[in-house]
Amino acid sequence: MSRVRRNTDSGKKIWIIIFVIFSVFCIIFFAARGRYSVPLGERVAMTFLAPLQNVVAKVGNEIHYATSGLWEVITVYRQNQMLKSEVEQLRAMNLQSNELASENERLRTLLGYKQAAVQFDLVTAEVVSRDSATWTDVIIINRGINDGVKKDMVVVTAQGLVGNVAEAYDSYSKVQLILDPRSAVGTIVQRAESRVAGIVEGNPGDKALARMVNIPKDADIAEGDQIVTSGFGGIYPKGIAVGTVQRIENDEGGLLKYALLKPAVDFQRIEEVAVVVNSREALPTAITAPAVKPAAAGAAR
Amino acid sequence: MKFCLIWGAVLAAAYILQTAFLPLLNFHGIGVDLLLLLVVSFSLLEGQRLGGLLGFMAGLLQDLASGTFLGTNTLSKMLIGYVFGLASQRVFKEKFFLPILSSLVATVLNYFVLALLVVLLGYRFNLLQHLQMVLLPMLFYNMIAAFPVHLFVCRICEKMKEK
Repeated sequence: MSRVRRNTDSGKKIWIIIFVIFSVFCIIFFAARGRYSVPLGERVAMTFLAPLQNVVAKVGNEIHYATSGLWEVITVYRQNQMLKSEVEQLRAMNLQSNELASENERLRTLLGYKQAAVQFDLVTAEVVSRDSATWTDVIIINRGINDGVKKDMVVVTAQGLVGNVAEAYDSYSKVQLILDPRSAVGTIVQRAESRVAGIVEGNPGDKALARMVNIPKDADIAEGDQIVTSGFGGIYPKGIAVGTVQRIENDEGGLLKYALLKPAVDFQRIEEVAVVVNSREALPTAITAPAVKPAAAGAAR
Repeated sequence: MKFCLIWGAVLAAAYILQTAFLPLLNFHGIGVDLLLLLVVSFSLLEGQRLGGLLGFMAGLLQDLASGTFLGTNTLSKMLIGYVFGLASQRVFKEKFFLPILSSLVATVLNYFVLALLVVLLGYRFNLLQHLQMVLLPMLFYNMIAAFPVHLFVCRICEKMKEK
């Protein structure tokens, strides 16, 4: 009798386990395709955890600064020697760049070229946490809806593109990095002769390199090329640095190739970012008539 | 209820430590998985039913808070909690090598469950390269943290039984 009951119990247990596993399996696939989400659960988790993560991250950063400061004191003599030689090199480069800047100015005036510079309104934020989950790359920042941050806004640093806001909460936001396999950024090669377009996405096989895909096999792209955002797709403004081509490989299909990019941003040391809350094209400066020199005016008269 | 409150707080504290403080020690973005170690140690001590439940809680917390593929960590950690719980009556719980060996097996198992889910979701990657870049550093970190985490879990379990 007891053996029968034990068998029934273990059979019931196995069915429960199969049911739970199947349910979680369904949730994974529906959620990955955007058909299922738990905004309330995520909001509750963020509301409770993010402030504490913020405090712990601040303490961690202070310890990090203190230990790295100590190390800098130890290595200050060698650094001083290196900096001296770097100053000499920079002086020489400065002379050269002044020359190039004046040449650039002359050529611009000659061509009547107006730079369509995009201007950004930025909100700076600190990185509160980063889960070292193996397959995705998301960071939490300490700015949210209260600071004007919204979903899909672009996140940058001075070095280049970081990613976009995946979810914004009251005081915190989740930022999906360009290294996340779910991210896709419209990009082009910056080199004037090339301008090849492609999509940069996260590379699940290598967390350090992003992948630029959908490049035709005969496209003009080479190692060392700078890749910038193309502005296609509407989320990312044009011209933000994304990375540098490190190597090019053929796609399995045979018609396309892909480039592996070293990101412009050092994601391992990312501590502060800026959210682009507003971007607009700069108004072109009004064309003014060249000033007439008095001597030339007299001669004309 | 008491179980959920106490272990919920422990998991939350471990997650905060793992994501806000320990990334300073990460190697190329890879660090220790404290939640996995907690689940493994707890399952070895308390059996498959509670182990599976704690794995479910830990994975769900990680999925909700980190913004990763929803459900992936829930499934992998729940399975690991259950599987290691099955072994709880067959091992010598007080041995030093137990948490270390278990952490290595659990890390590999967790890695392959997640890798399988990622492949089923349609993402492709070079497995050999990924093993080298992700799994090896993760094994190293988890192996180092396994014993202190196991001691911590033993202490909490003892305290809960005393009360």
